[in-house]
Amino acid sequence: MRPLTPKRVFWICSVLVGVLFVMVVVSLRMGAYPISVRDIVMTLFNGALGRRDRIPSDFWLVVFGLRLPRIALGILVGAALATSGAGFQALLRNPLADPYVLGVASGAALGAMLSLMFAPQVPGAIQAAAFVGAAATTGAVYFLGRRGGQLDSATLLLAGIISASFLSAAIMFLGTTLSGRDQRGMAFWIMGDLSSPPSLNLHWLYLVLIVAVGSIYTTSSDLNLILTGEQEARHLGVNVSRVKLVVYIAASLLTGLAVSVAGAIGYVGLIVPHVMRMIFGTDYRLLIPASAIGGAIAIVFADTLARTVVAPTELPVGAMTALAGAPVFIYLMRRSVR
Amino acid sequence: MSLAISREAFLFWCDTEERLFTPWRRLFTLGIASALLLSAAAQASTWRGFPTQAMVPGTATRVVTDEVGRTVSVPAEVRRVVTLAPNLTEIIYALGLEDRLAGDTNYCDTPPAAKAKPHIGSPVSPSLEAIVALHPDLVLATTSINRRQTVDALARLGIAVYTSDPRTVRGILDSIARMADLMGATAQGAALAAQLQARLDALRARIKDRPAVDVLFVVWEDPLVTIGQNTFIADALRWAGARSVIESKQNYPRVSFEEVVRLEPDYIVLTMDHEGAEENAGASLRARPGWSQIRAVEQGHVAVVGSGMDRPSPGLIDGIEQLARELHPDVFAATTAAMSSAAKEFSICVR
Repeated sequence: MRPLTPKRVFWICSVLVGVLFVMVVVSLRMGAYPISVRDIVMTLFNGALGRRDRIPSDFWLVVFGLRLPRIALGILVGAALATSGAGFQALLRNPLADPYVLGVASGAALGAMLSLMFAPQVPGAIQAAAFVGAAATTGAVYFLGRRGGQLDSATLLLAGIISASFLSAAIMFLGTTLSGRDQRGMAFWIMGDLSSPPSLNLHWLYLVLIVAVGSIYTTSSDLNLILTGEQEARHLGVNVSRVKLVVYIAASLLTGLAVSVAGAIGYVGLIVPHVMRMIFGTDYRLLIPASAIGGAIAIVFADTLARTVVAPTELPVGAMTALAGAPVFIYLMRRSVR
Repeated sequence: MSLAISREAFLFWCDTEERLFTPWRRLFTLGIASALLLSAAAQASTWRGFPTQAMVPGTATRVVTDEVGRTVSVPAEVRRVVTLAPNLTEIIYALGLEDRLAGDTNYCDTPPAAKAKPHIGSPVSPSLEAIVALHPDLVLATTSINRRQTVDALARLGIAVYTSDPRTVRGILDSIARMADLMGATAQGAALAAQLQARLDALRARIKDRPAVDVLFVVWEDPLVTIGQNTFIADALRWAGARSVIESKQNYPRVSFEEVVRLEPDYIVLTMDHEGAEENAGASLRARPGWSQIRAVEQGHVAVVGSGMDRPSPGLIDGIEQLARELHPDVFAATTAAMSSAAKEFSICVR
């Protein structure tokens, strides 16, 4: 393998951002309202220059009111989920770790649901509650996954699966107490849905994303060492417990963030980091940014399909990620085995 | 490729390459990424806040409060309406305002002409783009099937959305009158509501001395789903001289078969989902294990009413009348006889 240099990280990330950009343009083009690529370019160009009056009001509404905010939300959620997946895989030294497998997403969903029931009007309460739910579940799974003081891979996964099903049952139970209208909203949300943007301003959510991804990124070379073995890393001067704490908090925060705005979108946290590993190698200094951008690409792509496959009705994006994610994963796994 | 890297190679690699990753370079990369993302986020903020029709000069608007307490600013002249539920489409047609119906949902099938209108998707997950493309002056939604998020998103785009929240039959009539008023058809709305109310009053006058029949209203057979006391269907049952045996705060509770056995309803009420279900419904219920032993089924007390019964629309009154006739046949037999004798007298007078 070629040595990893900052230059290489930069170029790979630039290429990925380019792919994301193409995906965004494709996604802007697709939808129930027909707009040609030329009109989109015209709308974006005039929009960027602040010339509202030159844009037909329909184009303005569809591009700036519906599609771009949704894409922005998708990028946020995809980046958060993929990065937290990569973080959990390093933290638990388990390639199958992912916010959904570990029940962390269910914990976040339960927290978000409780805040929706008891404090629906407080801005940011959903995000805070989702973070608390995610962090508490991560802690519980981490604790339950130990065997004789050591983190055991199989026990950990079992603990995660059991937590997930327990928390889902709790969500179902709470769901029956909701009125019909909220129940429908909740059912859609549990499947993962980007069609209803959050009441909170995207600014703050992006800020949280950047801080959390950034803090995981600062530990990336330490994570590389931890992956070879905690003892070895400790001998090389890595403050293992500090690194783990940072990743633990940041990954929980990212899961809570994603779940609070878009519900449970599965597979992204598991598959995107693996795909990135298969393509670019296992170095976390490249894997973290590559996963973040890759997750954004995956969600924007999946959501474009969700909006258009059975138009004008929309599918939950979670269904699309599962449908598209599983075959891709199997293909890549078989290819790498060969 | 595995996660594990040979330790020696790894340590060597760390030694030579780590120096290239000086902290400031790392921060620089992070900074660029942050700047990119922040600029995207900053732009995202300008996408919020769309002018409502109210702000477009030259268009008069009126501000109303809808049935869920939202303030809605509706253009004074509503020319294009989009409905988000089948019952709302039915109301538009009943008011004779179908010319203004710009679009409806994939499920709008009553009257059949509604199927030919442009569709905007299903009531639960409609395409917002398709709604925008229809340029509606007003979008009608209902709490009985639409999601709050859909209404929020449309409102954020500056589209006027009126949400109806009927909990009683009377509430449905009020809601019809109010929606008609919004569309500038106040007289039609009042007339339709009054006409439906007159039918209900006439029905009540006939069956007021009859004790209420205990019924189990079946929304869904398998799993068994029924209605709670706070739904318009429970109120419709009261108008039809019946009472739902299930006491539930949930709107559409799932109940166990044991509960049905325990409560011993006098009648089982089913709705007709499709044509020709009348004979099948009773038969399929009897075929279910245990059901044939229930007193109501044994005695053949299974009432099948039209699909109007589970829609908060003018068709509901038809359903109520039909159900009342099934549940209180003797009253109707007597009054039909009385009516015909009255008619005779009338004809004698005329002569």
